[in-house]
Amino acid sequence: MNNRIKNFLTTNEMIVVYIIIGLAILIGSVNPAFNSISTVVNLSRTMLVTLIFAMCEMIVIVSGGIDVSFPAIACLAMIATGNIMLKNHIDSVPVAFIMGALIGASLGTLNAVLIAIVKMPSLIATLGVSSMTSGATLAIFGAKIITNLPGKLDKLYKVSLFSYTNADGITYSLTILILIPILICLLGWLLLKFTMFGRGIHAVGGDIRAARIAGFNVKGILFFVYILSGTMAGIAGVTYMILMRAADPSVLMGSEMMVIAAVVMGGTRITGGHGTVIGTILGVTLIALVKNNLIMLGVPAHFQTFVVGLIMIIGTSITSLKAKHVANSVKV
Amino acid sequence: MQKLINIFKKTDRIALALLVCSIGITIIMGVSHPKFLGKSNLQGMLIQIPEYGILAFGMMIAMIAGGIDLSLVGIANLSGIVAAVVMRNLNGTDFSIFPAILAALMVGCLCGLFNGWIIGYLEIPAMLVTLCGLQLYTGIALMITKGPAITGLPESFSNIANGTFAGIPIGALVFVLITLVLCYLLYATVYGKCVYLMGTNTIASRFSGINNLKITMLTYAISGIFGSLAGILMASHYNSAKSDYGTSYTLLTLLIAVLGGVNPNGGRGRVQGVVMSIILLQLVSSSFNILRVNAFVKTFAWGLILLLIMTATYLIERRQSRD
Repeated sequence: MNNRIKNFLTTNEMIVVYIIIGLAILIGSVNPAFNSISTVVNLSRTMLVTLIFAMCEMIVIVSGGIDVSFPAIACLAMIATGNIMLKNHIDSVPVAFIMGALIGASLGTLNAVLIAIVKMPSLIATLGVSSMTSGATLAIFGAKIITNLPGKLDKLYKVSLFSYTNADGITYSLTILILIPILICLLGWLLLKFTMFGRGIHAVGGDIRAARIAGFNVKGILFFVYILSGTMAGIAGVTYMILMRAADPSVLMGSEMMVIAAVVMGGTRITGGHGTVIGTILGVTLIALVKNNLIMLGVPAHFQTFVVGLIMIIGTSITSLKAKHVANSVKV
Repeated sequence: MQKLINIFKKTDRIALALLVCSIGITIIMGVSHPKFLGKSNLQGMLIQIPEYGILAFGMMIAMIAGGIDLSLVGIANLSGIVAAVVMRNLNGTDFSIFPAILAALMVGCLCGLFNGWIIGYLEIPAMLVTLCGLQLYTGIALMITKGPAITGLPESFSNIANGTFAGIPIGALVFVLITLVLCYLLYATVYGKCVYLMGTNTIASRFSGINNLKITMLTYAISGIFGSLAGILMASHYNSAKSDYGTSYTLLTLLIAVLGGVNPNGGRGRVQGVVMSIILLQLVSSSFNILRVNAFVKTFAWGLILLLIMTATYLIERRQSRD
């Protein structure tokens, strides 16, 4: 029993929890403005899209690959959906999401074909697709930002789960869009934990040959993973468009580092086979906390890149050292 | 006749195919747009080649060792900035160029050693480490510059990339020198043999008595030094240093290495193939410029070419293994 508690307290998830608590206490003591509901609302706004990205990236990493094409896919889904809807005078929220998801799914299929059938290293394949997609996005739709979104999409932005007015009369409202990542996390958790298919994803990430011999449909699983990742990236793009009330063809580019950092911080092993939804959520929370509140600590904005890089290096080193420790320990 | 066929069979097929493509492009473009073979275009090409060509060599050596180096652009910018800071602190005299270049090379070497140590000692995948490294080095560069570019470098510094020696840009001469050094390192030293063996099979190389950690650290240090050389050339070309120059070079160098026949799984890759693919891509890029193709289409084309080449190699390999 004692041993189990000790094991629980030293899991990767708990380490991230300690870091988050420590950071929150530090920021709160330096700057009392941190201790308010507005921080939570702002944090959830920052986390919203990153969390969707992180979920699809986590599933891809668990399956033993890596996907760096999702920002480009999301940008294409965002700008294409916005453009098509405006040109054809379509004004419907479900259509927007379905369109985004379809665009994402088709590019995800391309990733899947390159990785599962042509057997390219996933980093190179997704880098290539990313370059193609962002090039095509800018060449077709131009660099113009769309700010006049269709009415219903704009209205969805204003629907909030609850709103809170502070003493100065500024209202903070938690948007209803937060339900999308929550739903995705829930589905992802169910998939990875309770279905044979989810166990198959873990098996492929752990050892692709062993998984094939054990009777898993490796190609099918890889196809599913990359198409799912593309679809989610498309949905994330549309969500971002509604959240920011604008479609910008290159705004998300470069966010892949941040997302991979968050996933790895959450204890997902980059070599595949290990990863939890809770850990991913915690990792995203930590990164969002750092991103939002470094300024409150008095750290200048141009230190941000360095701090995120440092966190990534330390986070990966901790998980790898733990894995090395496990590998070297006596096996019973 | 038999002899000729044998010679043909022995030469690097990839380099040969790339050479044929290059000649084809040169002839087509030279006939349709005579400007393509004009002096200014040729000199422009020779100024651009060393910048990402040397970066591609860094990527190549890391890939032969079974890894990948995505932090090269970060190292390049960081060392360019360090060089600029050193020069400005020494009042921008002509003499300050030498300590500046030395400092930049030191920075590149240190960054590379750091990468190599984490990859070799902690056994974290190279891809992740260098991705973190890119973030880290760009972050340090941002901390030094606080955002804007550092300008006001001595005029003689900009001559390194923009000046010419007997009509040939000095950067191109540096590139040739680096190519020879790399050939020597890979083909004529014990280190070169060790890199190829380690890239093919890490476990086998460990059991044959090779110190994998040492070779990994050396490899990434060399890669880092190449990165800083490219950084110096970039800073000299723009006559300023900034934390986000050349961000598109990461994909481009990867494309060059893969196109030049370097195996992403390690252990295979030759200098002549990479040199040919650098030249071919510069020809394609210059043709795009002369034909006034949208810059975004270029990004699209790089990605497409990378994926097509990889697919083609896969199909050829599958056919060969069937025969």
